[in-house]
Amino acid sequence: MKALLVGSVCAIVLSIASAALAHHSAAGIDQTRTVTIVGILKEFKWANPHSWMDVDVTDEKGETKVWSVEMTSPTFLARAGWKSNTVKPGDKVTLTVRPLRSGDPGGMFVSITLPDGRVLGQAPAAPRAPSQ
Amino acid sequence: MRMYYVAFTCALGLAVASPGFAQGQRPATPAPEREPLGALARANLAKPRPKPPFDLTGTWFIDQRNSQNTWRFGPTGPFKLTPEAQVHYDAAKKAQAEGKVYRDDIGQCWPAGLPIIMTRVWPIAMVQVPTAIYMISGFMNSLRTVYLDGRPHSDPDVVVPSFNGESIGRWEGDTLVIDTKYFVNDHHWIDSGIPASDQLHIVERIKLINSGNTLEIEYTMADPKGWEGDWKVTKRWNRVEDMDIAEVSCLPDLNQHMPSTQSKENVR
Repeated sequence: MKALLVGSVCAIVLSIASAALAHHSAAGIDQTRTVTIVGILKEFKWANPHSWMDVDVTDEKGETKVWSVEMTSPTFLARAGWKSNTVKPGDKVTLTVRPLRSGDPGGMFVSITLPDGRVLGQAPAAPRAPSQ
Repeated sequence: MRMYYVAFTCALGLAVASPGFAQGQRPATPAPEREPLGALARANLAKPRPKPPFDLTGTWFIDQRNSQNTWRFGPTGPFKLTPEAQVHYDAAKKAQAEGKVYRDDIGQCWPAGLPIIMTRVWPIAMVQVPTAIYMISGFMNSLRTVYLDGRPHSDPDVVVPSFNGESIGRWEGDTLVIDTKYFVNDHHWIDSGIPASDQLHIVERIKLINSGNTLEIEYTMADPKGWEGDWKVTKRWNRVEDMDIAEVSCLPDLNQHMPSTQSKENVR
């Protein structure tokens, strides 16, 4: 399995994801870019206050590292179409994440491409306001 | 042997006298109504009171449409910190300049505490009864009780300091005024690098506007151990009809999978 690291700037998605995860600091996260990783899902946790995924990612040298990817809460994932069984260990997944600035494996979730080709993100935390 | 018998008899006597034991053995008789009554005591709820101007019962969400910095409670104008608070403020500024964060205790599962608990990116359920308002944040299930039954603040030598403090509310015309004090003074922040001390005193003036769809709170905050004078800021929350709060716990193993809380950019 080869990791595909593709940098891209996606300001709109960044601002939405930032709102979803603003209850703890994201200082260690590189807010200016996203990367795409391809790997085998090791574990997916459907839980409050955060869901998360651990993904085995193998680089060009054949070295495998575990990427921990933070997600928002199931409430907002569900609004984006997620279910607790959307992914399962062993699935090949393609993730877009905002990486750690340190270069260590890990980051914040932006979107996933599922084995069947569907793409899921996460809904912004701020719900729609009532009619004024 | 005799001593064992005496000890056993004493233990049995204590058990019988304990409320837990008595509940199962004695006839159900009403508990004596001693003052002060609990907020949910039937006699307290039944006391005649003026009709409140509004009812906050509902689910509320911080309004972030204009800024994602609405969670902050730091000064919006010129300010002067005490030397002990300035140390934290300077350290936080230094960390920020280096792209780091200073003592993000909430990320390490410490309670947010008032006032920041009100502006987490999570819904807050409020339930109002004649004697109190119960505010339960969807973030860590933080409970905040605002007493409306006319009781004074507790004896400072008896009260247990807490992250949300002790809140006493009263109605002034169309405004609910809540006075809160008795806070914990460690791992408790009102903004990045601005600590809350045990002298923090918060007054909230609450209005329900926009046909009951918007909650507006004007905060006045003083902390002689933190800064000079009063700091004021006004924030708004929107009523949300399509959300409930859920059980949310910051479990010990959570941060093993949260790279942002474990990164080297966290200054402890």
